Formats: sequence, C-alpha cells, structure tokens
Amino acid sequence: MKLFGSCAIVALCMSAGLAQADTTEVTVWSWGSAAPALDATLNGFNAQYPDITVTVEKLGYSDVKSRVLAACAAGGTGLPDIFQFQNVEMELIAAQFPDCAADLTPLGFDADAQAAFPEFKLFALRQGDRMIGMPWDSGPSMMFYRRDFFENAGVDADDIVTWDDFAEAGAKVQDANDGVTMTNDNLNGGTEWLQMISNEQGCGFFSADGETITVNQPGCVAALDVVKTMVDADLMTAGNFGERVQNLSAGTVAALMSGAWFEGIVRTNAPEDQSGKWGVMAMPSVTEDGVRAANYGGSLLAIANNSDNKEAAFTYLNYALGTNEGQITMLREFGLVPSLVSALDDPFVNEPSEFWGGQKVWELVLSRLELIEPMNGTAFFSDADQVLQSVQTKYLNGEYDTAQAAMDDAAQQISFATGLSVAE
Amino acid sequence: MRRQSLTAYGFLAPYLLVFAAFWFWPIIYSFYLSFMSTRRLPWTFNPSMTWGRVAQDPAFYNALKNTLTILAIQVPVMLLLATLLAVMLNSKLLKARGLIRFAFFAPVVIGEAAYAAVFRLMFNTEFGVINKAIEGVGLSRVEWFSNPDAAMALIILAVTWRWVGYNAIIILSGLQSIPQDVYEAATLDRVSPRQQFFYITLPLLKPVILFCLVLSVIGSMQLFAEPYLITNVGGPGGATETLGLYLYRQAFLNLNFGYASAVAYTIAALAVTISALNLWFGRDKT
Repeated sequence: MKLFGSCAIVALCMSAGLAQADTTEVTVWSWGSAAPALDATLNGFNAQYPDITVTVEKLGYSDVKSRVLAACAAGGTGLPDIFQFQNVEMELIAAQFPDCAADLTPLGFDADAQAAFPEFKLFALRQGDRMIGMPWDSGPSMMFYRRDFFENAGVDADDIVTWDDFAEAGAKVQDANDGVTMTNDNLNGGTEWLQMISNEQGCGFFSADGETITVNQPGCVAALDVVKTMVDADLMTAGNFGERVQNLSAGTVAALMSGAWFEGIVRTNAPEDQSGKWGVMAMPSVTEDGVRAANYGGSLLAIANNSDNKEAAFTYLNYALGTNEGQITMLREFGLVPSLVSALDDPFVNEPSEFWGGQKVWELVLSRLELIEPMNGTAFFSDADQVLQSVQTKYLNGEYDTAQAAMDDAAQQISFATGLSVAE
Repeated sequence: MRRQSLTAYGFLAPYLLVFAAFWFWPIIYSFYLSFMSTRRLPWTFNPSMTWGRVAQDPAFYNALKNTLTILAIQVPVMLLLATLLAVMLNSKLLKARGLIRFAFFAPVVIGEAAYAAVFRLMFNTEFGVINKAIEGVGLSRVEWFSNPDAAMALIILAVTWRWVGYNAIIILSGLQSIPQDVYEAATLDRVSPRQQFFYITLPLLKPVILFCLVLSVIGSMQLFAEPYLITNVGGPGGATETLGLYLYRQAFLNLNFGYASAVAYTIAALAVTISALNLWFGRDKT
C-alpha cells in the first residue's frame, strides 16, 4: 500500500512538473493607464511566445510604490516578477535595497541593448555595474487645451510663447467661457508645475551628480514665480489627479499641463462630444527664446531579484519595451511615449489624431525629446518634493517676500533632511 | 505552590513570546535606530541627523502644532458633548433607549475608510451636500479641502462625530454607577437640578471623565486615519498633517527609519507627559 502511495505521489509530481514546463507564469504590478497599455501588448507577445502567460495587475500608483518598498524591506518576499516604478524614484531602491531588483545585464540587457535608449532614462537605472530596470516611457511635458474655449476667446494657441502670453490668454479665455478655469495644478498635494518649469529652465532639485542641492538656482526660482503669477491672477485652481480628470470631463478647465502620457488619460476620460475639440501645444517658456520642453514622469519596469522566472520575465520586458512593436502598441492605445529611440521613426508617429482635431500630436511630442534636460532624482527625491510642497503653499499664501527667499529656505530644509550641502 | 506558578507561566508563555517578538524587541530596536543616520547604506551612528533634527525641523513643528490644535479643540468639545449626551441618554423620559444608545455608538463601529469616503463626498467643494446646504442658506461655499482652516475644522468634525458616542457610553456607565440616594438626599435638601449636575454629578463622574480624557489624548496624539483619508494625506500643503502622518511619511515614504524612530519616541514622550499632567491635575486632593 505504501509503495503504491509513494508511486502515485511521484507520478503526480512528475506530471505537475511537466505541466509547469509548458507555461511559465509571470506577474506584473502596474498602475493607471500603464497597466492597460501592457495588456494591449499581450496579444502580440503571446503570438511569438505562447508558452509564457503574463498577468498584469493594475494597482494604484501609491499602492504599487508602498507595496514594492515594503516587499523590498522584507527581503523581496511578496514581490511580483516584474514591477513598474517611476524613473525619478528608482534611486531610492538602489540606495536602500540594493539587492531588491535583478541585474538585467546577464539576462540580455547588455551595452548594445542599452544603447537603444536615451541616456536621460538610463542613468537612474545604473547601480554600479548592474542595470536594474528597463526604461519604458518618458513624459515630455505638453499643454493640452480646449480649442473651442480658445476660439470663443479669440485666442490662437500659436501666439502663446511665454508664460506671460499664457496668463493674458487665460484672462480672455475665462472671460469668454462661463464657469471655466484656465488651468489646474496639484497645489495641495504636489509640485507638478514647479517640477516641469524648473526642468524646462534647466534647474533640477539636485545637481547632476546628486551631491548638492540646486533648488534655489535661478531656473527653479523662476518656476515658483510662474506658479504664483497664475494663482494670483485667479487663472489656476488646485486639483489632484482625480479632480483634474473630473474637471476635464465636465468641461470646467481650459488647459492642463502634464507629461505626454496624459494624452491617453484625456482621450479615454473625455466624453464623446469632446472629440475634436482638444489640441496639444508645447509648454510656454519664461523668455521668448527659451526652451519649451521638460520631462514629467516616465516609468521603467524592473525584475525582482528573487523571482523564479527571470528569463521569462525578461523575454516579456524585451518585447514590450525593447521592440518597436511593443512600444508603438502602447503609444497608439494609451499615449505612452516610447523612450526607445528606434520607435520614434515608426510611421504611426506621423498620423493625425481625430480626437486632437486632426493634429499630428506625436510628431510634436517627440520633437521635444531631444530638448529635454536630464534631471537627477537621487534617493532623496521624496524628501525634496515634500519640502517644496510646503514651501510652495507658504509662498502662495504670502509667507515669504520673494521666490528666492522661499527657495533658499527650501534648500536649507532639504539640506537638513538629507545631509547634502546646498550648491553655491 | 511552585508547580502552580510554573503551570501559570506555561500558559502565559505563548503570549509572552509574541509580546517579546512583536512589542518588546521592536521598542528596543526602534530606540537603537533613533540614533542612526539611515539616509544612505551603511547606517551610521549619527544622532544629530535624528534627535538633532527633531528639535529644528519646521515640518515636525508644523505637525506638532496641528496635532496640539486638534487636541486642544476636539478633546474638550467632544468630552463636553459626550457628557451632555450621556446625561440625556440616562434620562428616564427616553423611549427605545437601547436603539438610541446604539445609534450614537454606531460611528465607532464603522470602518475608517468607509466613513472617510462618505465624509469626502459630503464635504466635496462643488457637489457635496454640506456646501449645497450652506449655499442654500445664503452663505458662500466653504473650500473644505483647499482652505487650511476649513480642512482642520473638517478633521475635528470627523473625529468628534466618530468618538462622541463611544465616550458618551463610557460616561453613561459612570453615571449609572452613581447611587440614587445621593440625588434623593439632594432633592430633599432643595438643591436644584442644575446645581445637582454641577456639584454632585460632575465631581462623581470625574474618574470616568479623566479616563476618557487620557484615552482621547493618546488617540489624538497618534491621529492618522482621518487626515490620511479625508484631507488627502495631510490637507492643503500639510495644514492637517498630524504627528502620526508625519511619522508615516518619514518612515515609509522616505525610508528614513532612524529619524522616524526619533519622532516616534518624541510622540510617545509627549503623550505620556500630557496624560501624566491630566492625571496629576485630576487627582483626588485628599
């Protein structure tokens, strides 16, 4: 009887083992419009690799971040095979949990493969000799606006070059359209406009080598002034992500600035009758001849170091992010701007978009890429962000005399929190 | 005798082991961590980055100020309301007392995330029922989530709503333990009901109210759920960030465990100090 039992068990195990050899399962944690974008690549992927089943779990952004950090702190238990993370925050993992993400170089992401991506996406992913993630999308900042509201006010988007032009146009647009605010920013919970305009003006929160704090340099101070001008002129109200989506669907906001990935958000959340009424323009600059490009957001995919299916996971990563097919599918369906350089030559980029009034949006967006100044997030990015949020709120409430004084105070606080020194 | 105590310890052992692993050891380790700079690997001994920073961090003082504001306003108001409620719930004229008592106790039972979601909807600036009512009366709408003072008021309202019933039931039990003959004697001596309340009821209720006060102080010092869920993780630009939220932010968003440990011990020390003061002032002066 015992012999029969043990034979049965051995037979079951062998068949289970054989069954496993047929399909490998890979799980991915992702958020927002990125998760459905990954889902969109699965058909093409499984056509080439039918034996790998990929399950994409869509969680909220803060859920993914906190769960990944908690799992890394626990030594990696509970992590999925692949997880999404923002480029600008990846250094936190590299600094505090160096063994959490797997090195992709031995899996196939060698120097040649890396050369297919731009440097401003790669440097945050380097951990000594290891490469701990593959770049996904980038977020060139664009101003998404309602053509019909602008027309009602007699404003031509092509005439808006500087932030002063934008403010003038804003006053006209609000007068001509009842119940419409010119723009929203996440004033109560973020520093989005501040980050984007600072980047545009060539100023990062930290220096390129990540050793000093540069938040009180002229570019960032100018950015803070722009935000204050907009708020003081009643052209900007506060709205977090959910509220901005609500406002754009309800038609109570005329223009929104965000990374180009917001294109998919607008297109999939706006009601049917708004199709054709939206347009995209480059973000205004501080001076007439100033650069009109910045980056906001942009993610990567990383493989957990203790995953059992690293090769299968990398195969999927390589397809979704490392091939034109994968990246362009995600661009077409959800507006995720590929950071893969070769994808930029795909013919899809030159197609006009009906939702955006027949505009060739991707041509405009991708033309920004080469103008973007890389910004070093460092492992202390969230500290800096939190200090700047509170300094921004105080400055908007009039608690500092000048933007320079506000930013100097912010630099001191960040220095205190991180142990880094303020740049001269 | 010895055999009996060994058996007793034997039964206690599982709990003591769990206690040691999940309570005692973390408390010691956290104290050790509070002296380490955990910004970069490897962690180094550097108390000036942790304890030194607590004394000078404007964000910490902001969180402290917010917490003390909530403490100073919400706790007395809530205890006052709870006492009045308890007296009314104790009234002989009340019908369906079981149901009404449960109705006031019910807010405590509701999950925090659920009631936070409902409060957010009710106080929504554009579409919420509260603002519609305010505008209906003719006043201008209140920016509950963008105005720092309004956001603070919202937190105080939410916390009061949640805990007033709970405290009322506790005070009610205190009320019911006051012997009736005291009141009879007072009525015979022609003491008015109002004087009876202030000179008999309240002094006899003092231990119970003190108990509720200490619990409320400890709860307010650690307040986390309401500011996190209702006012978007600390209100407009940190205006409703409490010490609990600040601690969470430093530990789990910035991964600055050393500093967070120092903050945690500071919060605990403050809570103990305030509770000790309360108990000392409320002691029986006999």
